[in-house]
Amino acid sequence: MASKIINNIRWFLPSQDREKNSEYDEIVVSSRIRIARNLADLPFELKMKHNHCEQLLELLKNVLTGKLKGKFFGMENLSMLDKESLLECYLISPAFLKSEKPSALFITERGNVTVMINEEDHLRIQSLSHGLNFPEIASEAFEVETTIGEELIYAFDKKYGFLTSCPTNIGTGLRASVLLHLPALVFTNEVEKVLKGAVQIGMAVRGLFGEGSDTKGNLFQISNQQTLGMKEEELIDTIVKLAHMIIDIEMKARDVIMNKARYEFEDKVARSLAVLRSARIISSDEVLNLVSAVRFGVGTGFIKDVELDTLNEIILVSRPANIQIYFGEVLEEYERDVKRAEYIRKRLQAEKK
Amino acid sequence: MVCDDCKNKPATIFFKEVNPGKIVELHLCEQCAHKRGLLMAKKMSPVEILQKMLKEKSAKDEKIICTNCCLSLAEFKRIGRFGCSKCLSEFSPQINNLLKQIHQSDRHVGRNPVRGEKNGFEIFKLRAKLKKVLEKEAYEEAAKIRDLLKKYGIEDNK
Ligand SMILES: [Zn+2]
Ligand SMILES: [Zn+2]
Repeated sequence: MASKIINNIRWFLPSQDREKNSEYDEIVVSSRIRIARNLADLPFELKMKHNHCEQLLELLKNVLTGKLKGKFFGMENLSMLDKESLLECYLISPAFLKSEKPSALFITERGNVTVMINEEDHLRIQSLSHGLNFPEIASEAFEVETTIGEELIYAFDKKYGFLTSCPTNIGTGLRASVLLHLPALVFTNEVEKVLKGAVQIGMAVRGLFGEGSDTKGNLFQISNQQTLGMKEEELIDTIVKLAHMIIDIEMKARDVIMNKARYEFEDKVARSLAVLRSARIISSDEVLNLVSAVRFGVGTGFIKDVELDTLNEIILVSRPANIQIYFGEVLEEYERDVKRAEYIRKRLQAEKK
Repeated sequence: MVCDDCKNKPATIFFKEVNPGKIVELHLCEQCAHKRGLLMAKKMSPVEILQKMLKEKSAKDEKIICTNCCLSLAEFKRIGRFGCSKCLSEFSPQINNLLKQIHQSDRHVGRNPVRGEKNGFEIFKLRAKLKKVLEKEAYEEAAKIRDLLKKYGIEDNK
């Protein structure tokens, strides 16, 4: 089972063939591309009958397993825990998890490109990477899109482009998003202003908000909303430029903190790492906040003996379904908090050596 | 990055204006963005625009029906989803403005599908069928399917 979880989070860990972390990887946690497509000759979700769903699954199974290396699963064969783990690893969408119609998932051999079959659209092709890696994940997603398009005809209109169930996805069907870690902007209370700017240019911003107005782990997701009237490259470019601009502002806020409150910052980081290294019971929200502080410390160079990849792994493996899959047993909330603490202690110890 | 207008304060707002033939990019501070009138009321998201515009109903909506999947414009406005690949062109006169409001554009300028002319769906179904009949060693049927595939210009001898 532990090997299974590593399989699901493989996209998050740098592989030998992927470039080592870039300088922005501490701020840009991950990048994602999603392409929505439908087949011209089948009705869309709203009008699909059971036999259409089965036809869709069979066609895609043939194309994907025939032309690409990867695994094809019928979603009905997966347990709820497996599905929740896929969601926690960003490999499927929340709507896909809840879906009760026949649906299937294809995961490429490398583990970072998935095709959700029979989501809101016939196909949702998704590509993920740690850090800011757009040209690479876009080409991986479009490679899969092209492979399917060579065999099956996509619903396409000369004027409106690729057709989707919902009018908000029409045209390119493309959504590009970045997950940003902005602890300094949160600390200096500037984050809202900065993100308001992103909303003004038509981006969707989602904070991982916890209880009250506290953000969980200082993480924010930004994605494009417009899909029609711009080229795919332009849509991606807008997100990349925006990410660079926000990185810039975050770095300035860090300078301010380092100049004005260096010891308070170092104290918080060191204490957070100490808690992670020694806690016996820990919730996944607490992990998010402690990892955020340590991540910040790694980013400024204050923490030298913890790798960013280890922190990425800890965030993912600590999530409720993932921790159960990691230990290979169904765990109640309290047991999860205990096992999670155990996993993190071991993981950070291994790091020290 | 400093603000493009005052060249003094840090830019916190990134603005992209798409004019015919050129894209203007601006990096502004909050004050200068205000001066240019770029920070008006809270911006509506595409989903909000969609929901708002779908409320504009007309008595004719029941009568406008997609000839391919039988979805009526009234039903589309209730659910906000298309029923097939023909719905959009059938409803285009009534909903072009909706798309323009959502996307600030009503024209696709991105990629085209890799292959649109050939009927890949048919070819694929035939190939799958051919594989099945070959497994059953029904060679006569297989020959018929190969003839059909030849019509699409495909020589399948596997
Ligand atoms: Zn200014
Ligand atoms: Zn239709």
